[in-house]
Amino acid sequence: MEICISESTTSMDKLGVLSDAAKYDVSCSSSGVERKGDGTGIGNSAAGGICHSFSSDGRCISLLKILFTNECIYDCKYCVNRRSNDVPRVSFTPEEICTLTIEFYRRNFIEGLFLSSGILHNPDYTMELIYQAIYKLRTEYRFQGYIHVKAIPGANPIIIAKLGMIVDRMSVNLELPTAQGLSELAPNKHRKTILMPMRQIQQGIKQNKNELVLYKKAPTFVPGGQSTQMIIGATPESDYQIVSVAENLYQKFDLKRVYYSAFININEDRSLPALPGGPPLLREHRLYQADWLLRFYGFKADELLNEARPNFNILLDPKADWALRHLESFPVEVNRADYQTILRVPGIGVTSAQRIVKARRNGALRFEDLKKIGVVLKRALYFITCSGRMMFNTRIEEDYITRNLLTVKERLPFDKDGVTYQQLSLFDDVNFQPESGWASKLIEPKSVVYGQL
Amino acid sequence: MELYLICEDSLEGIFTGIYEAYALKRSHQEIHLQVGEEDNLRLFSEYRSIQADSNKAAKVARTINREFGQEGFMAVCRALASNDAKKGDAIYKMVVSGLAMSDPRKVMSNLANEYVMKVFELARFSANEAHFLIEFLRFKELENGILYARTGPKNNVLTFVMPHFSDRLPLENFVIHDEGRGIYGLHPARKDWYVVTEEEGRESVLSTYKLSAGEELYSELFTAFFHTIAVEERVNRRLQRNMLPLRYREYMTEFQLSKDRK
Repeated sequence: MEICISESTTSMDKLGVLSDAAKYDVSCSSSGVERKGDGTGIGNSAAGGICHSFSSDGRCISLLKILFTNECIYDCKYCVNRRSNDVPRVSFTPEEICTLTIEFYRRNFIEGLFLSSGILHNPDYTMELIYQAIYKLRTEYRFQGYIHVKAIPGANPIIIAKLGMIVDRMSVNLELPTAQGLSELAPNKHRKTILMPMRQIQQGIKQNKNELVLYKKAPTFVPGGQSTQMIIGATPESDYQIVSVAENLYQKFDLKRVYYSAFININEDRSLPALPGGPPLLREHRLYQADWLLRFYGFKADELLNEARPNFNILLDPKADWALRHLESFPVEVNRADYQTILRVPGIGVTSAQRIVKARRNGALRFEDLKKIGVVLKRALYFITCSGRMMFNTRIEEDYITRNLLTVKERLPFDKDGVTYQQLSLFDDVNFQPESGWASKLIEPKSVVYGQL
Repeated sequence: MELYLICEDSLEGIFTGIYEAYALKRSHQEIHLQVGEEDNLRLFSEYRSIQADSNKAAKVARTINREFGQEGFMAVCRALASNDAKKGDAIYKMVVSGLAMSDPRKVMSNLANEYVMKVFELARFSANEAHFLIEFLRFKELENGILYARTGPKNNVLTFVMPHFSDRLPLENFVIHDEGRGIYGLHPARKDWYVVTEEEGRESVLSTYKLSAGEELYSELFTAFFHTIAVEERVNRRLQRNMLPLRYREYMTEFQLSKDRK
């Protein structure tokens, strides 16, 4: 591997290259830690997290998401920074990272720092560099904002333990849902070395919690918890496998979040699938919906999918899909059912369910009240009763409800613009183009106007 | 006969209005609180101006705090920051219906009551906007090191965001300017923050300062970061618009330099 750091690169060039390389990391949350500033430096942290901007892909910009360096000794097939790619290689210095973070933070551009890295020389060396930068930021600059770092698989557990004491969140990327996929696409990485630091961080957090019970002022270890990320659609796993992996990670590794990243074919490697329709965004969306069902709605992976039905319904979200397969438990009486049951009704989310449970203590709720509370009635009305009555005269039949749900169609978020109709006017021609002259309009006006009349 | 109490648009004014409404000992249904002058007077109703009185307001505030608890009191405060013309009446009636409940502390969960619902909505709007401001506010560094931010929120939420930034930037001198209302939140380094009102017709001294030398560099760096961090294959402007309403962009650094390039 040749190292070519040209001395003349400006911070603009570096930021360009290293943020461009970091953008495929999904996590950008700044949540999970509530910390007031101590008045001696800069920064604090809010438990709910704060987004500071939204880029044109609609994802939030909360943290300054950069790589320490985009040099890498590994050759993972899906990665833009893999060794065999011919891209400009640059590295930050710890000092540069600190000034960038502080100057951005002062202007309220960001909520903190997200630092990942390609692997320079070896995992230990890289981890040590990251540690130096973060240590400087925390002590010299007295930065008390949010810091998220990637733990690099294979790094010495001692450095990870040290780093954990000064950051808010750590994450180890699972990369691909199964060990088999990993060995095919990332030949230098092994499932075992990925799970080891994950386990270490989990145990560190657990142990630290016990210490905090004893000594209130004990330093905290990764107080924001750990997260991970996996690529969806690069390997042939089913949705059921992916959801089961996620469920396992939540249960056995106490993860805060599992992120799914729709595979984007940057390298056009022959071992990677071609995606003529663009990245599998709808599939990613369904996985996130299911992920929320696992974490906040009390669902189990086996309830949503099984071996016989291994993939999500494209047209219906997983919750509506589940409800349609379990019509025997509907309709639910909103004024009497318990919280968990209400939570399973399509169109009622966590906030609405909590509000319902509180509000009904002061008297029976009507459909108008539900609407104000925030229930999506066009979806919920097939599944609920208010004081024993359904909203309309609807039948509890799978086909009937499916048909109706699909006509109000939860707008599939990823088609072009979603507008399939427009105001009809005699003088409109949908194919009208500004440059076309009268002649061309006379020749082919039939298609739209006549068709609609 | 319907009676309209006209009170000034402030916490003190509206709380005094509530005090006076109770002091009249008439049916609450006949009394309405009106914030500011009414331009379209109603027939067969009486209008009465109320002079704000800090003692009376303090009594009402104490009662609300004691009876409704922290949650209810904060909801009322947030609703007071709203720019909705009906906020006075909504808060007044919400207090009346809350005090009639067997447990007034649960007033904010009584969402089936229209006035509680209205106060809840106003409070939610103010709280959301305060949060948007915390997210989307942008400071610019002036030549003397002061951080200066322009904003134009719909609701009067400056007092809700100042504590956040004071805690976050304790060693900075910073100013947040609500352009719509002509008020400034000021925070001198290592001291407490305060709010001042612009004098009518007087130019602020801040407009005479130039930007600092580093300002352009960091604005450009962040704008470049903002554009490179987007994944081209996933562009979704509609989602971006949902999350970041257009009216905030006027004040945001990353939308200034190059007009949101494709």
